[in-house]
Amino acid sequence: MNLEMFLEPFQYSFMIRAFLGTGLVAVITAAVGTFVVLKGLAFLGDAISHTSFTGIAFSLLLGISVYFGALFFAILTALGVVFLTRVSSVKDDTALAILFTGVFALGIVILAVSPGFAGDLNSLLLGSVMGIQREEIRVMATVALVLALILALFLERFVFVSFDPIGAEAAGFPVAFFQSLLLVIIAVAIVIAIQAVGVILVVSLLITPAATASLLTKRIKPLLGLSSLIGLFSSFVGLYLSYFLGAPPGATIVLVATTIFALVLGVQKLMGIFHTA
Amino acid sequence: MGTNERLALEVVGLTAGYQGKIVLEDVSWKVSRGSLAAIIGPNGGGKSTFLKTIVGLLRPMEYSKLHLVGLPPKQGRKKTAYLPQQEEVDWSFPITVLDVVLQGRLVSQGLFGRYSTRDYDLSLEALDLLGMSKFAHTQIGSLSGGQRQRVFLARALVQEADVILLDEPSTGLDAKAQHELAEIFRDLGDAGKTIIAATHDINCLTECFDQILALDGQVLTEGTPNEVLTEANMVQLFARHFPKISASGEVTVHEP
Repeated sequence: MNLEMFLEPFQYSFMIRAFLGTGLVAVITAAVGTFVVLKGLAFLGDAISHTSFTGIAFSLLLGISVYFGALFFAILTALGVVFLTRVSSVKDDTALAILFTGVFALGIVILAVSPGFAGDLNSLLLGSVMGIQREEIRVMATVALVLALILALFLERFVFVSFDPIGAEAAGFPVAFFQSLLLVIIAVAIVIAIQAVGVILVVSLLITPAATASLLTKRIKPLLGLSSLIGLFSSFVGLYLSYFLGAPPGATIVLVATTIFALVLGVQKLMGIFHTA
Repeated sequence: MGTNERLALEVVGLTAGYQGKIVLEDVSWKVSRGSLAAIIGPNGGGKSTFLKTIVGLLRPMEYSKLHLVGLPPKQGRKKTAYLPQQEEVDWSFPITVLDVVLQGRLVSQGLFGRYSTRDYDLSLEALDLLGMSKFAHTQIGSLSGGQRQRVFLARALVQEADVILLDEPSTGLDAKAQHELAEIFRDLGDAGKTIIAATHDINCLTECFDQILALDGQVLTEGTPNEVLTEANMVQLFARHFPKISASGEVTVHEP
């Protein structure tokens, strides 16, 4: 293997765009994913990604921007869940699962029976990294920047309402506002990440890097940074490997992220055994 | 009915509960500023419901008057701190002691305010006051129950809360930590803070508190520890929750 072969993927502009696009969404989903992991909201991430798929299906059917439809459904899902959990104290996982898989199935049927869209189905489900256009990079970069700014600006407040919502609410702090804002950010990040890894795998981008980072640090800022780095690394290595293996990029990225998680967990367990032995 | 700024808490005719179920009926109680007040009663008697309702975590079903530090709840809450029960907080959260205390400053800041040097100074001062300085950069979950409570009390101080409400503060504390907590309560009372604690721990009551409210779905009685902690009152409050064993070994459940 020579250097030229190593650099081969970078000669193609579509590959450069793929690296840029997945890198951007991997960093931002891994950052907001930190809160998803801390609050145990993985199921909500799953619900949002599945309903946004149907939002995309509707958008294609109506001929409007897919981002618009996906965002509408994603935010509706996020806020709907907040509303439901605030109104009834019962955590109804079952009802939510029935609802979001139902909505998801509707999206699949819409795409499958609408003439001309069946081809989009596969790329939406599994991602279409290689098809990322220049315009989409611009959207991803802008959205990622805005989300990062909101996260940086309100970090302490997001931490407050995540760590001690009861104490915060009792002191008259606007808990509902910041919890909703956080969920909207999560929803938006999911929507822009769907292009890269697809509906089915997007939750992995959201939670696996954050879960790995949470094994390594117990402080919020290093956690955010480390999670983003792991996300970026996974997307880069995954995409690079997929080029040579001829494997689907989205799935390869997820495999890399999962492998890193397993390695870190394994090493920690081993070290634990040696320490106690 | 005017406002009375000398009162930390003034409740008249409060009926409260959740999901349409009444837990507390027609409760009236006044706590003057600087008092150390306790709410006692059996489990399910409405202690937590009472605390949660006055800080707005539960919507009151009915009331004639509800004032915190002489203000309606919405404004009064900014001057009120509530320490949840230990199991209601996620102690594994990646947050340091100092960051928890600093949160007290967020309450009075607007949407975009950042921590200033003064906020840091106040937070470190509060930690110092409660003997927790050396733990400033420790993750909150690695502290003991008593230490966690001090951190939350420090947060209440930097919030400049006048009233501090605690739900079962002595749960999980050993005898030494309980005595230390009682001492902290007295210091806070001397500094003009009002403590209102829901507790099932009768041991501490005469030592720590100067006012007691006995709740069992409604007000059984209220007053000083000497007035409230009579045998007759305690039997009425708790007896039906304990089985009795007679000399012959027969077990009976007391019916009120």
